[in-house]
Amino acid sequence: MTARKSGSRLETEIERCRSEGQWDKIAELVRQMSAKLISNDDLGELLLGEAKLQQYLKENPIKQGSSPRGPRPVLQEVRKHLTAALDRGNLKPEYMQEASLVMAKLCYVEGDYGEALNQYSRVNLDEMQLVGSPVYRLSMIAEAYATKGLCLEKVPMASPSLSNRNADRDQEIITCYEKSGDIALLYLQEVEKALSVGIQNRSPKPGPVTQEQELGFFLETGLQRAHVIHFKNGNLTRGVGRFREILRAVETRTTQNLRITIARQLAEILLRGMCEQSYWNPLEDPPHHSPLDELLRHSPHTKDYALSRRPRIYSGENLFCPQENTEEALLLLLISESMANRDAVLSRIPEHNNDRIISLQSASLVYDLLTIALGRRGQYEMLSECLERAMKFAFEEFHLWFQLALSLMAAGKSARAVKVLKECMRLKPEDPTIPLLAVKLCIGNLHWLEEGERFAKIVIDMGEKAAEFRAKGYLAIGLVYSLKATDASLRGMQEEYQKKALSAFQRAQSLSPTDHLAVFYLALQLAVSRQIPEALGYVRQALQLQGDDVHSLHLLALLLSAQKHYHDALNIIEMALSEYPENFIILFTKVKLETLCRGPEEALLSCKRMLQIWKSCYNLTNPSDSGRGSSLLDRAVADRRQLNAMTLPDFSDPETGSVHATSIAASRVEQALSEVASSLQSSAPKQGPLHPWMTLAQIWLHAAEVYIGMGKAAEAAACTQEAASLFPMSHNVLFMKGQVAELRGNVDEAKRWYEEALSISPTHVKTMQRLGLILHQLQRYSLAEKILRDAVQVNSTAHDVWNSLGEVLQAQGNDAAATECFLTALELEASCPILPFTIIPRAL
Amino acid sequence: MSAMDHGVVEEWLSEFKTLPETAVSSYAASLKDKGSLVPALYKVIRENYSDLLEPVCHQLFEFYRSGEPRLQRFTLQFLPELVWSYLSVTAARDPHCSGCIEALLLGIYNLEIVDKDGQSKVLSFTIPSLSKPSIYHEPSSIGSLALTEGALANHGLSRVVYSGPHLQRETFTAQNRFEVLTFLLLCYNAALSYVSISSLQSLCQLSSRVCICGYPRQQVRRYKGISSRLMVTSEFLVQLITGIHFALCNGELELGSRALDDVLYRAQLELFPEALLVGNAIKSSLHGASLKANKEGARSIQVEITPTAPRISRNAVTSLSIRGHRWKRHDAVDLGSPDELTEISEVDEGICTQASAAPSSPPTIVISSSGGKLSGKGLRRLTGRSSRDKDKDKEAASGSDQLTRKQAAVRAMSENLELLSLKRLTLTASQSVPKSGSLSLSRTASAVFSRSFEQVSNVLAVASPSSNHVAEADHGGVAYLEHLSPAHQHRQRSPTISVHVTSDL
Repeated sequence: MTARKSGSRLETEIERCRSEGQWDKIAELVRQMSAKLISNDDLGELLLGEAKLQQYLKENPIKQGSSPRGPRPVLQEVRKHLTAALDRGNLKPEYMQEASLVMAKLCYVEGDYGEALNQYSRVNLDEMQLVGSPVYRLSMIAEAYATKGLCLEKVPMASPSLSNRNADRDQEIITCYEKSGDIALLYLQEVEKALSVGIQNRSPKPGPVTQEQELGFFLETGLQRAHVIHFKNGNLTRGVGRFREILRAVETRTTQNLRITIARQLAEILLRGMCEQSYWNPLEDPPHHSPLDELLRHSPHTKDYALSRRPRIYSGENLFCPQENTEEALLLLLISESMANRDAVLSRIPEHNNDRIISLQSASLVYDLLTIALGRRGQYEMLSECLERAMKFAFEEFHLWFQLALSLMAAGKSARAVKVLKECMRLKPEDPTIPLLAVKLCIGNLHWLEEGERFAKIVIDMGEKAAEFRAKGYLAIGLVYSLKATDASLRGMQEEYQKKALSAFQRAQSLSPTDHLAVFYLALQLAVSRQIPEALGYVRQALQLQGDDVHSLHLLALLLSAQKHYHDALNIIEMALSEYPENFIILFTKVKLETLCRGPEEALLSCKRMLQIWKSCYNLTNPSDSGRGSSLLDRAVADRRQLNAMTLPDFSDPETGSVHATSIAASRVEQALSEVASSLQSSAPKQGPLHPWMTLAQIWLHAAEVYIGMGKAAEAAACTQEAASLFPMSHNVLFMKGQVAELRGNVDEAKRWYEEALSISPTHVKTMQRLGLILHQLQRYSLAEKILRDAVQVNSTAHDVWNSLGEVLQAQGNDAAATECFLTALELEASCPILPFTIIPRAL
Repeated sequence: MSAMDHGVVEEWLSEFKTLPETAVSSYAASLKDKGSLVPALYKVIRENYSDLLEPVCHQLFEFYRSGEPRLQRFTLQFLPELVWSYLSVTAARDPHCSGCIEALLLGIYNLEIVDKDGQSKVLSFTIPSLSKPSIYHEPSSIGSLALTEGALANHGLSRVVYSGPHLQRETFTAQNRFEVLTFLLLCYNAALSYVSISSLQSLCQLSSRVCICGYPRQQVRRYKGISSRLMVTSEFLVQLITGIHFALCNGELELGSRALDDVLYRAQLELFPEALLVGNAIKSSLHGASLKANKEGARSIQVEITPTAPRISRNAVTSLSIRGHRWKRHDAVDLGSPDELTEISEVDEGICTQASAAPSSPPTIVISSSGGKLSGKGLRRLTGRSSRDKDKDKEAASGSDQLTRKQAAVRAMSENLELLSLKRLTLTASQSVPKSGSLSLSRTASAVFSRSFEQVSNVLAVASPSSNHVAEADHGGVAYLEHLSPAHQHRQRSPTISVHVTSDL
């Protein structure tokens, strides 16, 4: 009784060892078994033969593409065992089959492929049971199919003349590998299940718990050779199909590495070799004729075999199945990324250097592919977050750092991008593009002029080494100075920066005479310092280089308006509009010019047309587009990138341009306040990026201004109200309200509005000027003088402020100073454009 | 242009006109047999002054309008050449004679921006999320994800628009030029597998020329066409790069890498982050790959058998291996009760691996970290697992797996929730630990929160039909805010379980 019981336990123990590949224990178990006489010796022979062969292979693994070994003493021994078992024929049929399979494998190892095939012909592999058979036998069958495939590939065809037979043979080989792969996956799933049960059953026993399973040559071949052949034959459709089959099988610990590789390879193929139109999703049948396959070889697209049992695949309800090649590539890459990220070696001790490099390479390949996939779809926000995850193992790795910086930049996360770019500069100090990218961000919406200056100087200091980027460096520093000049509150500082900017632009222009930007900014800088004729010369030059540059055309129009050639200016604006019909900044200038040239009615028509254009442009923009910046913070602030592309002046201050430091602060306050205010009233449309709404508000304000010019207070008030419903706390809106009040004769109300506007934007020159005038009317001269002097400090070229200041001084009896002011005003007025030159955006 | 080419083109022009409706499909199939036609048409497009240009453009448009995919692809293969022809004429400010090419390009654009019913087409795609089960993975086996703002926002599958809707365009202006051309390239890229090698070559040429004309590199490349600079946009370059990438991997290694270099050169000069990003990635991803220039024009995508054994030695420190590691802190001496902390980390690890049923190491790590003794919770977890595995065995034996699997899933889910509440308990218990411990506690707490968040949303995903999750990004933002507040999550948890159970039983 006890003997039988222990006998069956012995059998299970043997089975377990065979399943888990613990060949070293077999000999001992066989000894116990023969001692108990529960079975004949033949089974022992089979087991010993198998164990010795496996042990040999474990110690001398076969490498892919290596040549056969030939007879070895150990293998002789194996053969002796197997021949003994086979010759006597006392074994149960399934053990006989096993013995033949081991024998065939031995033949393969020794290089006798014909004999191996001969052995397989005795066993009908297809009839071996997959259902209910012990786990180790699954592995045997899988290996047998793989070995058979290998042998078939090696043994030449009997009659190579028949090409049709050849195709059949190819098909047979592929089928062998595919079956082998399927059964191997099944085996690995089963063995893992058995192991996890085993751990629990034997949990009190301290034995070797984590037995790392390895695939070995035959299973590895079985799993991979089929798709390798498909791709070699140019049959992408079936190769992709095979990849998908392997990936859909539920993963096991042993297949993890294989899955990483295959997922990445499939993603590569999806990104490199397929397109939207040639794609079919994993649950669909592949197309019959695909451009992906070479026409010469025509093999069936579907597999032509069935197995009684297949590996488990991921299943359940609501499984996500990709519908597009980028989707599938992304899914695969996200899976690979999570694994690559997890396996990335973090330790930096020298012993692990190799490991670290290997893991870094495989991870960075995954990140590159992710970049390609997400870049195609414009998902820079998500990309930047993915790359951020790579940072923990990207120490001193320039490529990953730079890619992160670029993705942050593309996602509009400027401040962080600059920080990362700094690190990139440290890693690659000789590359001039990096500091230039940083300057671009700094002089953009960040308005970090000090930092920008530093970065630009790095490029300039590179000298000749910066090559073509040297001119760009001077351009960059010129822009920084130009913006600083606008910000500066002291006249001397302003002039100094203007001079520096001018010389930088000149340098840039001489270094790169065909660059229209250099010439254009030179012209703009001259215009800002009111050297109108010189500026005209350069802007014409810029237009010769780049005939349809919108900013050059705009500057030309403004310069003409400064010379009081309003009709010519309007012509230029109309010409520009024929090329840029939806450019609002040009349209605003047009409204101003039309009021002067053709009367306010025309200007009002233009405003109406602007509203229509606005509607056609932004009604279309779908709401989900605004969600591109999926981050909450990013959604809250205006979509900067679009803002740059649209070249829109900051709504907060159309008069002094988008670039004044205080106006940026004001616009932020304004945004925040307006959001709070309008969240109380539900009517205001608040979805989507902010700037279309800014544009709309600005259109209404322009219309209001035209109405004020016509003396129509009610209409002006209505227009202002429209703008106020969008941005109730905007100083521009408040200013306009003040103007309407003034028109109605409510001086006190107007004063109140102006004061509110100034509390939001303390440097809004127009408001200061109007407030000064009101105070003048109220005979509060010294306060009026103070405010107007402040206004002149902020913008020394505002001639109407000088004029008002003159009036106040005159009223105070300071005639000498008043005369000076009037003269200045007169002089400035002669060169004053219809709108300040600084409304033209300055960006790299 | 030789008389023979002339003849071929004229024949092509005339035969389609007389073609009956029914024969269009077979005609489309026969087009690829006309070997000399495509080169002859390229010549017509390149020679701007050919009198055949107008009828050819007209017929190409007719092909496109026919709706027959093969005819559309026939037209599409000339797109790079047409774009270059148009751009070079515009740059040369030579207003006459590009009219018909402009009309053809705009015609294709206007056809492509609307769907069959004449509605504006919006091209969108789903961003996969690892927290949702897919045909290739199970969320539980992935482990924890980083709790970034974006990860939370994209927690569900979100559908994003990547192109469209677009306005109908009657004429090209400087403002809409690249918008239209970018969209046309997008259409071209969607059909890349179908275009011929000559078309890919033409695309590479287009890319190089657009990017270098007027720049010093033009001399290096010895291109003597127009010499004025062409304005480009970053999006346009990204589309060019996509096409170049395909060309690079499908037989045009030399032309393709030159084109990629030229585009990157220009992107650097223009400081375009998007184009630099994608271009750098392609360059670096092809760096190691062995691309063989296949002169027979064969697709040169190849794979090899790779060893599956882990290539990384087991004792190297990886993100995975230090996940369970508790960092020693200098001021950790007076930590209130270290036991509670280990318990948290223990349950924490259990959660993320227990559903994978893998004999993975995390549990063993946990056991050793808690000093060899199994706590009550640990035991509970193990029994939970074994019962589930028995289920799996049964399923394997019976063969009818669906039902049992579902039950197992339900059980796994309720286990998760059970553990969740356990965690919450330990968490609240350990929150009473005073001062210095609180810093590390908050760290643990956030980790716990991230996991529990995953689990809860997994439950949500199973319980609700997927359509709810494919919400527009707008709503997604709101929904995720809801998830974000722990209080809300707490409230929502039990109702979702019940929904789930009823739907399954």
